[in-house]
Amino acid sequence: MKNIEVPALARVEGEGGLYIGLENGKAVEIRLDIYEPPRFFEGFLKDRFLQEVPDITARICGICPVAYQMSAAYALEHALGVKISPQARALRRLMYCGEYIESHALHIYMLQAPDLLGKESALELAAESPEVVKNALRLKKIGNELLRIIGGRSVHPVNVCVGGFYSWPDEKALKALLPDLEWGLNAALDTVKLATSLHYPYLEIDYEFVALHHPDEYGVIEGGVLSSTGRKLSIVEYETGYIEEHVRHSNALHSHTVDNNTYLVGPLARLNLNHEQLLPKAKQALKDYKIQLPLKNPYKSLIARAIELVHFYEEAIQLVKEYKPTGPAHVELKLKAGEGSGATEAPRGLLYHRYKIDANGMIQFAKITPPTAQNLPRIEADLFALTPRIINMPEAEATRTAEHLVRSYDPCISCATHFLKLKVEEK
Amino acid sequence: MTRVAVIGIGQSLRGDDAAGLEAVRRWREKFPETAGKPEVQIEACELPGLSLIETLSNVDAAILVDAVQSSAKPGTVHRLSENELASFPSSSKSAHGWGVAETLRLRSQLTGTKVGIRIIGIEAEQMELGAGLSEAVENAIPILCEVIEEEIHALL
Repeated sequence: MKNIEVPALARVEGEGGLYIGLENGKAVEIRLDIYEPPRFFEGFLKDRFLQEVPDITARICGICPVAYQMSAAYALEHALGVKISPQARALRRLMYCGEYIESHALHIYMLQAPDLLGKESALELAAESPEVVKNALRLKKIGNELLRIIGGRSVHPVNVCVGGFYSWPDEKALKALLPDLEWGLNAALDTVKLATSLHYPYLEIDYEFVALHHPDEYGVIEGGVLSSTGRKLSIVEYETGYIEEHVRHSNALHSHTVDNNTYLVGPLARLNLNHEQLLPKAKQALKDYKIQLPLKNPYKSLIARAIELVHFYEEAIQLVKEYKPTGPAHVELKLKAGEGSGATEAPRGLLYHRYKIDANGMIQFAKITPPTAQNLPRIEADLFALTPRIINMPEAEATRTAEHLVRSYDPCISCATHFLKLKVEEK
Repeated sequence: MTRVAVIGIGQSLRGDDAAGLEAVRRWREKFPETAGKPEVQIEACELPGLSLIETLSNVDAAILVDAVQSSAKPGTVHRLSENELASFPSSSKSAHGWGVAETLRLRSQLTGTKVGIRIIGIEAEQMELGAGLSEAVENAIPILCEVIEEEIHALL
């Protein structure tokens, strides 16, 4: 077989290329140009007031603006020694539920399921099974609604600030979402059923899994950085365990552990490390569908997303029921010079920010490490591991299996442009 | 009463990619009377993904304003209909995630209904991170505002 080349990957957020160079039936070179590190933003943030950071970083990813806002807010709160109120914390978790719901529903049904069902795209899936796609869009829309009510209606959510929220969202509007959320919880359980009935390409990898871990809840905000090797670090210590390095064939920075290992962040890592903290219905679904952990097949991250979809619907219902805004929505900030780190679990995996600020709250230094930067060396290593299995397949199938592997990671290509492509026709 | 959505699409930090957002913003300032009508819904959209389907579910017609790359001169204003957008190729090799064209197609496939879509495109020159609008595009924004106003009156 010739080399495998995919100039533009479909169904990853943005546009990227994949190249697998073959020699005597073995992969000798793998290039994955899918990712642009947020260096521009790190520079752009310099000399801006800290309260602008959540809004600016929200633009790094159109799919997960909340993750960027949250990691930024926690890092800056850490720099100022601020602790947000328990109510604001609960609301942040609820907002994150909205983002997980939206992002996972999109990825499961519209981006990855077509691969597993042998469809070219979700359009083809919609033609054959319109109800499946309609339900998928409804699942996703409920996440959007949650974000809109909490985050405010704008290009991206604008209500998150350093210290909490600018204002409390409307209690009635949130409670009115409960019937939809209940519907979503059932539809999420059906999603687990679907996810476990699909046939996945075989690939088992001995990953080092890394995720935030919190003893009392499914790790999303706060807690420590846990590795499946047993390494436990606080968020402040993150950079002592995980190192970013420049690689030659792209702009991208690649991460590895301090022991020079590749590692995996994202849904598989979270589920494998944190399943004890899942809420009851999600835990029950693991049992009912006999899902054996740890899941080590990257394609099966779809199953992990489905379980998380159940968890976050379940948690959203709880948090909406308990929501009762009282007192100020944010803590008043006392500015001082300092440095702070923050990490939260974006739907795609751990997202780390570190900032230095001066006495006026102006940003002096910013460092942002997105999940895709950490997973890139892992994706490439997985492709090396996959190549012997696909080498004897017909070319189209081999290409598709490789593409599918990349898609199963749900890589985020930061802030790609979205201009329209025109069909130019002579008239 | 015809309900119309005016949707500006683009990335505000990406050079001319922001043209759609900027044009809708300035049209709103220039024509407050039209923009303030109850049947007119104005949206700004940084990621024109599947949420477009939700936006379009409440309206009878929509005007999308977006940056465009073809081979025309930068600043050229294009008026297009839905089927003039590059369609989703059957091979996945050049297909994107969920662009405007795919989303509109999915929408009509699922609902079996058509919303009157008018697309106003402006030819972009550059989409550099951190750059503002290029001169050619900046100069064309007033024309874009007039075109939006004209299109909306044709629909109302």
